[in-house]
Amino acid sequence: MKKILALALALIMVFALVGTTAWAEEPVTLKIWFHGSNVTPDASQKVLDELNVYLQDKIGAKLEVIWGTWGDFDQSVVTALAGGDDVDMVFTCNWSADEYNRYARDGYWVKLDDMLPEYGADLLSVIPEGIWECAKTNGYDGIGIYAVPALKDTATQNCWDVNGTLLAELGYDVDAVCEAGLDYYSDEFEEMLQKAKDYKAAQGENDFYPLVVEPMVLERLVTVTSIVTGDLPGAAVLSFYYDKDHPSNDIGSEIVNKFATPEFEKYAKRTYELAQKGFISPSTQNVGTSNDYLNACQQSASYLFGTQSYAYGCEIDFSNARGIDVRMVPADAPYMDSTSGQGAMMAISAVSKNPEKALEFLNLLNTDPYVMTTLNYGLEGFTFEKNDDGTITFIQENRANYSPWRNGMGNIRILPPTADEGLSYWDDFSAYYNSAEALPYGSFIFDNSVVETEGAAIANVFAEYAFGLCSGATDPDTVLPDFLQKLEAAGMSDFVAAANSQMAEYLAG
Amino acid sequence: MTKNHRLNSISAGTEAVFHVVIGLFSICCIIPFVFVIIISLSAESSIREIGYSFIPRAWSFNTYTYAIQRLPQIWRSYFNSILITVVGTFLSTLICALYSYALFRPDFKYRGFFNFLSFFTMIFGGGLVPTYVICTQILGLKENYAALIVPLLVSPFNIIIMRTFFKSSVPLDLIEAATIDGSGEYSTFFRVVLPVAKPGLATIALLNSLAYWNDWYLSLLYIRQNKILQPLQALLMELQNNVEYLNRMSASLGASAIQEATRAPTQTLRMVLVVLIVVPIACAYPFFQRYIVAGLTIGSVKG
Amino acid sequence: MNEKLPARAAGSGAPNWFQRNKKTLALLSMVTPGAIWLLLLRYLPIGGIILAFKNYKIFPRNPTFWSNLQHSKWVGLKNFEFLFKTDQALVAIRNTLLYNIVFIILGCIIPVAFAIMMNEFTKKFVAKAYQTMMFFPYFLSWVVVSYFLNAFIDAQYGMIPAAQAAAGKEVISWYTNTKPWPAIIIIANLWKNVGYSTVLYLAAITGIDANQYEAAAIDGATKWQQIRYVTLPHLRTMISILLILNVGKIFAADFGLFYNVPMQNGALFSVTQVIDTYIYRVFITTGNISQSSAAGLLQNVIGFVCIMLANAVVKRIDSESSLF
Repeated sequence: MKKILALALALIMVFALVGTTAWAEEPVTLKIWFHGSNVTPDASQKVLDELNVYLQDKIGAKLEVIWGTWGDFDQSVVTALAGGDDVDMVFTCNWSADEYNRYARDGYWVKLDDMLPEYGADLLSVIPEGIWECAKTNGYDGIGIYAVPALKDTATQNCWDVNGTLLAELGYDVDAVCEAGLDYYSDEFEEMLQKAKDYKAAQGENDFYPLVVEPMVLERLVTVTSIVTGDLPGAAVLSFYYDKDHPSNDIGSEIVNKFATPEFEKYAKRTYELAQKGFISPSTQNVGTSNDYLNACQQSASYLFGTQSYAYGCEIDFSNARGIDVRMVPADAPYMDSTSGQGAMMAISAVSKNPEKALEFLNLLNTDPYVMTTLNYGLEGFTFEKNDDGTITFIQENRANYSPWRNGMGNIRILPPTADEGLSYWDDFSAYYNSAEALPYGSFIFDNSVVETEGAAIANVFAEYAFGLCSGATDPDTVLPDFLQKLEAAGMSDFVAAANSQMAEYLAG
Repeated sequence: MTKNHRLNSISAGTEAVFHVVIGLFSICCIIPFVFVIIISLSAESSIREIGYSFIPRAWSFNTYTYAIQRLPQIWRSYFNSILITVVGTFLSTLICALYSYALFRPDFKYRGFFNFLSFFTMIFGGGLVPTYVICTQILGLKENYAALIVPLLVSPFNIIIMRTFFKSSVPLDLIEAATIDGSGEYSTFFRVVLPVAKPGLATIALLNSLAYWNDWYLSLLYIRQNKILQPLQALLMELQNNVEYLNRMSASLGASAIQEATRAPTQTLRMVLVVLIVVPIACAYPFFQRYIVAGLTIGSVKG
Repeated sequence: MNEKLPARAAGSGAPNWFQRNKKTLALLSMVTPGAIWLLLLRYLPIGGIILAFKNYKIFPRNPTFWSNLQHSKWVGLKNFEFLFKTDQALVAIRNTLLYNIVFIILGCIIPVAFAIMMNEFTKKFVAKAYQTMMFFPYFLSWVVVSYFLNAFIDAQYGMIPAAQAAAGKEVISWYTNTKPWPAIIIIANLWKNVGYSTVLYLAAITGIDANQYEAAAIDGATKWQQIRYVTLPHLRTMISILLILNVGKIFAADFGLFYNVPMQNGALFSVTQVIDTYIYRVFITTGNISQSSAAGLLQNVIGFVCIMLANAVVKRIDSESSLF
């Protein structure tokens, strides 16, 4: 075995050497890897051919793009990065498999602090201080910036998604109801659900369920808690309670076990009760069908209340798509934390042979409207047309073959607004997000690698119980004690304690 | 012949029972596929209203028209799948037959060594990342057809199965006789042994062709930029995974996820792809079957 | 049987080294393509096994895979801990073993029985048709199968709950009730794999020399006796080889089956969580490739031990049917 290993190592060394000497030709080719794209090879070729002429002229570099899709990015990026593939820039964030903070810790990303003033001066001025703050993480080379954050929807706000059309049909004054806000525990709330159910039943729709939600979002919305950045991906077990009107107020809370609070118990009981009364569909309660059902209900407008993690202007999109009057009723004020600040980023891989050039490119991408527009929206005359007022209109036929994930690319606020969005869209967009307050713990990031074994065990306990409780499928009176006990056995106390001690350390200095 | 056949067969009653058992099972095997066809022909609105159902509220052929007209990649992927399957099946079956034939020969000096060499890799491997590194960085298996063929060329499982087929169908006297006649090893192998081992060979070829036709993982790993090379199954898995991922991540992605999900391919489109994948290989199946079942007569009828 | 070596061509005078080793060289050349492949694609990466004992990190000065691996810290058996530390892991291990035992037994008996039955059909085209149909499950991914099952048992749209409700019976909630799931899982597994193994056995039966049946028939053996004394002994090798190989996979489970078919519902974990789904759920939370390599390695080691044991047992009973 040793011999084989030695042989393998020797072989690889030789190849690595050959690889490095063969490099060093002009112009530099930069390879970038995006997430969530829907781009055909032909369309990509067409757009890049034109963009590369511009890029060579501007920064003396050519761009090659890996159009990662939603489905393949996570699976292939892990293998490729661990295997040392020659990629210069990679999409990262705090929810993808190449999780920004963990990968910074393990040395996958180049630390940018020293390079930014020279190669990313424009970036430094364009991206607000607060967002840079969120991008700071404790990487292998000390605390610093390991990726360029995208200037997109950088705040979180939980909203009730209200079917205004149906509410009006039930005889309510929609504006008044929305103005007053919704209280999950109130009798009025239940009464509205009941009325909607009866109303639909009278029309012959017997399997109408008025409350169509994403259970995990509903839980955060009702209990007014934030995701703690660095919590287990796909298994958020930590909660941080904040002031819903002024998220930056320090109300003396610390990080807690999400499921061990009286608020959670109250939430679970209420949800179970509403489910028992037939307001929540069994399809919502089945992990495998929950989201398909949600999408179907939203598209066919067959719901009364839903949940939505708000994005600026989304009610207009939704109203158009669903053909009803969609209202967003805020449950809290928008807040900013690392979870939203790190929602989409571009890192420079440690493997990159031209990190400076790569940063130069990212600088250009985030500040030059032509580059951002071309990469994000395609070419004028191919995927979109310019209108006289400065907005653009997509040529749907080609746009369908060239649709990268808009928010994943960088500073989308320099894109031209579409005709639907209207001329002032990006100004309003910026104003909304810039108004968001930071949570009291600022841009704290929990490093859960110190309690990795506990985390692994907790994630499996979570998968067994959390969804059932949050969706009202299981009775908290019987299930919650079991759940809490198993969480404890999996090391939940240590997990929470680690988070709190790190936060105290962070706040102290 | 008929007379002999009667003598040598089971009673009509027993055969009827066999038919019921096997027939029922076979029907169970085919029903889900019928279900897939029904979904692929259901109107999207019907699925939204009543979920997946054997009896949709409305039928529609739209998705087929859409898939065939609007997705140029489907035709390319078809071509890729066929190319990969044909070349891959031929090479892998040949390599497997040669390797296992040598292992089957009791007079092969290094038989034990090579037997273990292949068996050991069935259990132990370097794992995903090291294999990936060797393939892409040393063997150059990325962004090309070779990357979709080479990694599946040898299957230790198939080698063991093929060796078993040789053992049970090729009498050693036959090889001995051929050798005495002055036949070389290769000519013995191709002219004498392979014809006798046809059912086994066809079975292995079938398994190999299925493995190539069904594979999507190699494409996920090795085809990233040059997606023109994507086989059909990979195309389907990508669409499928997109939907699954958006579902799983919707809490993190917020409104983006909903906007993306409305753009994602519909459930009917996914089922159309399943149909498009299964039909060609199901049509190719009888080709292999001719050799596998042909021998059935030998056992029961020949007299 | 081993002694029946094909005789070397007689009559050659004083043979040189090449002539003396002609046969061995020819046979060696036959294994060469396969052997080269195995060395490159299987043995070369095997050094990566040490990943399981390291905390993999990038070595920024020379970030290639092997140099990263060299410079990562040794952590001993720490990467294995998560497999034993919790009740969940133990439940997953128990489920994996129990399901696999059932799969191995039924997955052997049923295909053998099917192959023998199909061999007896007088109308060959019927056997062909059956055989083609049996292969269809192999093409449907578990995701598609889960939709199919869901069409029957979905609480809102499913046919069975609808029928129960119509008949005035109590409607059971399939995705939270663990009772039916062991049966569903076992049936789904058999449904998917029986066709595949049946083909293997059928091909093996096909290879039986017709003279043996003739001889038996002349001796007055009934069809049942022929199956008992000709067919089954002939299948013995294939049966035991497939058995041994399946025993080697006793610590691994079909991820898609256990992940997709129960639609990931937590309430069913006590009967649907297996090692592979457990590892997957850990991996997406920790993203630690060292941990997943550790789990893979452990599965391999246990599989190897089991295969060796099974092989030794088979060898004692019948040396001809063992793997090596």
